[in-house]
Amino acid sequence: MSMRHRPSRRRALAAALVCLPLVASAAACSSGGDGGGGAKAAACTKSNGKVDLTFWSWVPGMDKAVAEWNRQNPDIHVTVKTTPAGNAGTYQNMSNALKAGKAPDLGQMEYDSLASFRLKDGLADISSCDPVKQASGDFVDWTWSQVTFGANGKDGVWAIPEDTGPMALFYRKDLFDKYKIPVPKTWDEYYQDAKALKKADPKASITHFSQTDPNWFTGLLWQGGTSMFSQDGDKWKVDVDSPANRKVADYWQKMIDEKLVATDLQGFSPALYKAWNDGEVATWISAAWGYSTIRDNAKATAGKWAVAPMPQWNAGEQKAGNWGGSSTAVLAGSKHPYEASKFAVWLNSDPKALEILNREGGLYPAATKGLSLSALQQPVDFYGGQKIFDVFAQASKGVDTKWAWGPTMTDTYRFMSDGIAGSLGGGGKLSDVLRDTDAKTVDSLKKQSLQVAE
Amino acid sequence: MTAVPTRTAAAPAATSRTSPARPRRQRGHWLFLLPFLVPFTLFTVVPVGYAAYQSLFRTQRVGGTFGHTTSVFAGLHQYREVLSDPDFTRSVGRVLLFGIVQIPVMLLFALVLALLLDSTVARLKRFFRVAYFVPYGIPGVIAALMWGFLYDPRLSPVVDVLHKVGAHPDFLGSGSILWSMANVVTWTYTGYNMLIIYAALQAIPADIYEAARMDGATGAAIAWRIKVPIVRPALVLTGVFSIIGTLQLFTEPQVFRSISTSVTSTYTPNLAAYSLAAGDDYSEAAAMSVTLALATFILSFGFLKLSSRKAQA
Repeated sequence: MSMRHRPSRRRALAAALVCLPLVASAAACSSGGDGGGGAKAAACTKSNGKVDLTFWSWVPGMDKAVAEWNRQNPDIHVTVKTTPAGNAGTYQNMSNALKAGKAPDLGQMEYDSLASFRLKDGLADISSCDPVKQASGDFVDWTWSQVTFGANGKDGVWAIPEDTGPMALFYRKDLFDKYKIPVPKTWDEYYQDAKALKKADPKASITHFSQTDPNWFTGLLWQGGTSMFSQDGDKWKVDVDSPANRKVADYWQKMIDEKLVATDLQGFSPALYKAWNDGEVATWISAAWGYSTIRDNAKATAGKWAVAPMPQWNAGEQKAGNWGGSSTAVLAGSKHPYEASKFAVWLNSDPKALEILNREGGLYPAATKGLSLSALQQPVDFYGGQKIFDVFAQASKGVDTKWAWGPTMTDTYRFMSDGIAGSLGGGGKLSDVLRDTDAKTVDSLKKQSLQVAE
Repeated sequence: MTAVPTRTAAAPAATSRTSPARPRRQRGHWLFLLPFLVPFTLFTVVPVGYAAYQSLFRTQRVGGTFGHTTSVFAGLHQYREVLSDPDFTRSVGRVLLFGIVQIPVMLLFALVLALLLDSTVARLKRFFRVAYFVPYGIPGVIAALMWGFLYDPRLSPVVDVLHKVGAHPDFLGSGSILWSMANVVTWTYTGYNMLIIYAALQAIPADIYEAARMDGATGAAIAWRIKVPIVRPALVLTGVFSIIGTLQLFTEPQVFRSISTSVTSTYTPNLAAYSLAAGDDYSEAAAMSVTLALATFILSFGFLKLSSRKAQA
C-alpha cells in the first residue's frame, strides 16, 4: 500500500477500515494520489499556515541549530529527535518507519546510505523546490555530485550536503622528530617511514589496520581514483576489483605482511586509544572530524600531533580520499517538502547554523562558504598550534568528484570487513578481499533484483 | 521455542506422579491459560508465522537503477540460497564445534559444583550458591565487554601478569577467539545450570542416602551411583537448554567484533541472519532464521530422544 502521501490520521483510519477486508487486493487501496515521494518530482509548493516538521539526527548540538531556526522561522517549526548514529540503528528505524508511513520529514543521512534509501523509495526528490534550486551552487562539487547521483540535478536532488570527511595524515610529530623520520609525501615514503619506525622502536607501528572500518579502507580507495560503483544506463556497474584499487590493496598487504601495521587493533576501541597514548601507533590516516577523536581519547599526547596531507601515489599530486560526512534528506512521505527543503538548505548553508554545527558537533561543512568559518581558521592547541583545517580545506579540493556509492553498501562494507578479518588473521590477501567483495556485491545487487553490467 | 522442551522434559516426571485419570471436560481451564496464550500468540506464534511467510518471497523490481519493488512469491527459493551459502554452512559448523566442546565442559562443571554444594561436608552453602549464580545475573553484553577487557592484550591485567611469567596468549586471535567466547558462555551459564541440578538433588529423599550408608557406600559412591542417576532428567534439561543457547549464540560474537579483528559478520548463524536483515534482505534473513529454528528443534528433540532411549536401555 502506498504510504508516500501521508493522509490525515482520521482519513487513514477510515481507509484502513475500508481496506481491511480487501487486503488480498491491496493494490486497489493505495491512499490516493501519486505523492511527491520516491517517484518523479512532483510540484514542490508552499503549504498554507503553520507547518510542523520532524527531524531525526545524531549530530551533537543539532538541537541548538534547530532552536536558532525556530527562533527565526515561527511559521515552520522543526522538532528534532536525537537518535543513535545511522548504522547503530537509526537507518533500520527509518526504514521501518518508512514502511509504516510514520517516517519523519527530515533525516540525517550519510552519503553512502543515500543510494540504498533512494532504492527503497525512502527519499523525496527536492529538485523542484525553490530553496534547493537557489542553493545548487553553494556546496563543494563532489558533495553535490553525491546528492544528485552524479547527474548534477538531471536525475533529481535527493538531499542537501551537510558535512564531509576529507582525509589527511595525523602523525606524532614528536616521534617523527625523535627518530628523524621525514613526513611522508608519497605512499612509498610512508612505507619507508614505517620500516624506519619499526627499526627505531619495535613496539611501535606506523598505524593500525582496523577490520570494522571498511569505510576507512574505501576512503583510501577513493583517493586511488576508481569509483566502486557506477550507473551504466539501467544497470549498475561494480568496480571494486579494479586495477587502481588492487594497487591500494597490494600496498597495504605488504604493510601487513611485513608486520609494519598493528593488525590487532579495532578502530575507535579502548585498546587503540591506549596504544595512541602509549605512543605505540604513530599515525592515523583519517578524516577532518578525526581531530576530535584523537583530541578526546589520547589526552596524554596533547601537543604532540600534527596534520599533513595524505600521502600520494604519484609525487606532486594533491589527491585526497574522503571518509564519512552526511547530508540532510527530506524523506518520502513528508507533506511539506518545500518547507523541509528550505530548512535543510538553511541548516547546511547559513553561516550561523554552520558555526553552531561546527562548534557543537565538530562538523566540517560541505558548503563552500563554510570552509571560511572563523573557527576553521584558528590554530588548534592540541596539534601544537597548527592551523590544521588549512590542510583539510586543501584536501577537500582534492577529493575525486566522480566517486559513487551503490545501493547495497551495507552488504558491500560487510563483505569487505569479513574479508579483511581473514587477511589480518593471515588467511588471505587484501586483493582477494576486493575480488570476493566485488563478486558478492554483484550477487547482492541481483538479490535486490537490480540489473548488473558485467 | 524454549517453552517446548521444558514441557517435554517435565512430562515423564508428571506422568509418574499423577494417576492417569481421564480429565473431565471443562472449558474453565482456557480462562487460566489466557494470560499465557495471549502474549505467547502475539509475541511468539505471530512473529514466527510472519517470518515463515516472509521467507517465501523475493524482491522483484522494474525500472532501471532505482526501480520500484514488488514482492513476489518464490516458494523455497530463499531456503536454497541459505543452504547453498558457504558462510552459513561455516557458521553452523562453528557453533556445532563450539557446542560439542563447551556444553559437556560446562555441564560437568555445573554437576560437580552442584554435588559439592549438596555434599554433607560443604560449608557456607548459601554463600556459594549465590556466588556461582551471580554471573547469570549479569547482562550478556556487560559480561562480554568485561571479558573483552580481560582478554585485550593492551588493557588486561591478566595478560600483563601472563607476560611477566613468559606466556604470550592471544585470546582475541583468529585461532582462539571461539574458545575465548566459550569461556565467557561457560562462566555465565555454569551457575544457572548448577542451580537446576542442585534443585533436583535437593528433591532426593534423605532415606535413600541412609540406606546407602548402611550398605557401606562412601560419599563418592553415593554421588556417582545414586545422585547422578536420579538427577539425569535435570541434566537432560540443561543439555537441551544449552544446545538451544549455543545455536543461537549472538551476544558474545557481536560484542567481540568491536575489539577483535577476527570475528566476521557471519560468525554464528544468528549473527549471519542479523547481518542479512541489516542489508535489507529480509526474506533471506527470515529463511535463515526459520532454518536455524528448525535445526534447533531437530537437535533438541534428537538429543531428548537419544537420552530417553539410553535411560530405558
